[in-house]
Amino acid sequence: MSAISPTASFRSAPFEAVPHALLCIMGSTQLNRLPFGVVGLSPDGLVEVYNHTEARLAGLNRDDVLGTSFFLSVAQCMNNFLVAQRFDDEEEIDAVVAYVLTFRMRPTPVRLRLLKRADHPRRYLLIQR
Amino acid sequence: MPSKIRRDASAKALRDENAELLQFLYACPTGLISLDAGGTMLMLNPLAMQLVLPLVRNHEVSNLFKILEPYAPELRSMLASFAPQQGTVCDAHRVFVGRGDRGDVDKVLSCTLVKLSHDRYIATLSDATLQVAQERRLKQAEAWFSSLIDGVDDFAAISLNAHGRIDHVNASVRRQTGFAEHELIGLFLDVFDAPDPASSVLSCREQVALATRDGWHLDEGWCARRDGSRQWCQRLISVCREEGDIEGRTISGFTVVLRAVTRKAADAASLKRRLTTDHLTGVSNRAHFFELAERETARCRRDGVSAALLMLDIDHFKTVNDTFGHAAGDQALKTVSAACGRALQPQDTLARLGGEEFVVLLPLTDLRRAGDVAERLRAMVAALEIVTPFGTFAVTASFGCSMLDDGTASVGVALAAADRALYAAKRGGRNRVALSEREDVAA
Repeated sequence: MSAISPTASFRSAPFEAVPHALLCIMGSTQLNRLPFGVVGLSPDGLVEVYNHTEARLAGLNRDDVLGTSFFLSVAQCMNNFLVAQRFDDEEEIDAVVAYVLTFRMRPTPVRLRLLKRADHPRRYLLIQR
Repeated sequence: MPSKIRRDASAKALRDENAELLQFLYACPTGLISLDAGGTMLMLNPLAMQLVLPLVRNHEVSNLFKILEPYAPELRSMLASFAPQQGTVCDAHRVFVGRGDRGDVDKVLSCTLVKLSHDRYIATLSDATLQVAQERRLKQAEAWFSSLIDGVDDFAAISLNAHGRIDHVNASVRRQTGFAEHELIGLFLDVFDAPDPASSVLSCREQVALATRDGWHLDEGWCARRDGSRQWCQRLISVCREEGDIEGRTISGFTVVLRAVTRKAADAASLKRRLTTDHLTGVSNRAHFFELAERETARCRRDGVSAALLMLDIDHFKTVNDTFGHAAGDQALKTVSAACGRALQPQDTLARLGGEEFVVLLPLTDLRRAGDVAERLRAMVAALEIVTPFGTFAVTASFGCSMLDDGTASVGVALAAADRALYAAKRGGRNRVALSEREDVAA
């Protein structure tokens, strides 16, 4: 993993390119400023990171979501072999997939970026509307 | 300003309440959909999305009726013919959608549709796959037990030891099968096997294996008699446990009851027919096809043999419907399926998957031979004359073939390969046959 400059502009961290390692070191203020949703999950699928953008668009309170089982309580529509299963099956992932989610019960086309590294327990799901 | 603080506090309370409601809907374990009279989905919760997403192409999640059209075209007409201002249009209506997420088993959705006003409907969707499989077993059992009560014929009772060998038979066995007790002792139940691929009945050994797994097994099929003739029998195999074996793990033997089916049991036969055939064309239905294909896949795996799937789709069927009307379209489906049925071997199964799409299961067939069969059917369909009161016309069909063998992951995977080949045939100009690449089938 290349070294990350501490002065890197978090605000412009692009959806397709922001690396796993950078997400890991970002503070909540920086994560909250990102224009796309960021969900960080433990290996058991429990929500460890839930940024402001995601909470606002999903219409949920961040504190209610943290610690819950993401694919059961918030995102059942991703509990399949296209998303949840991939996190279990694949050692490392960095993939962008087109998907449809149900934000506030409205079908919403989105792009998802799935991030998982073999050397780090946390998985990230980035969501761009 | 106290009033502003009060306002802010109540706005926050409202936001929290809203978030709580959303969380409730996000986590709901049943699919909920709000839709208009045309089927456009206005709102749906994540579980509804999870259930419909595998059925759509290109992420076009907009119209429920359009998505379910290939599997349940009747939904639209049920809604159209529902006259009351509000009420339940259908309750737990079964939709066989096949091809689960990973193409494993035939998936069944249960759909309830309620009319709220002329242009507002609410639907629930849930996965009823397991429930349907269980019900099928129960219905068989019901048919069996009701025929036991109605009938006064003889029952042949046979007991098997733990190894599946016959150790005792009752007097009726001789009357019903022609075999004397001493001729049967020590033999396996196979002695009654009367192979008949057309009825796709499991062998006796397979039935004993199923009884071992489930505690009992009920089936209907041909049974061989001593003189070489055969009779249609219902057969119940149940497991006997060791006494005092609380866990019920040790099998001490089996009890087998054979009963020749006479006209009195026609009810069971017609129930079976209703459960297995397509109403319009009389060929096998989707659910029955998956059942047979699962069984064939298991056989391929066990015996190292292969089978082929042949998918066919009538070309430009929409144009037929638009030009001559739906009744003529239905006639075309009937004519084509009847002609294909006549051209196939008795061991082959022709089934309607939905709409104008059919599939043929060809046991003990390789891809090359499947291609030959498809080519023969293609030429035959193209030469057919569809005679209807609305005009006489001709149709063509496109074909895609794939293989089932010991390396096939599931029926769904093989069906998807045949579907891809079919798509290639369509793209290649229709009225033609395409074979699946071998690599596609092994997943």
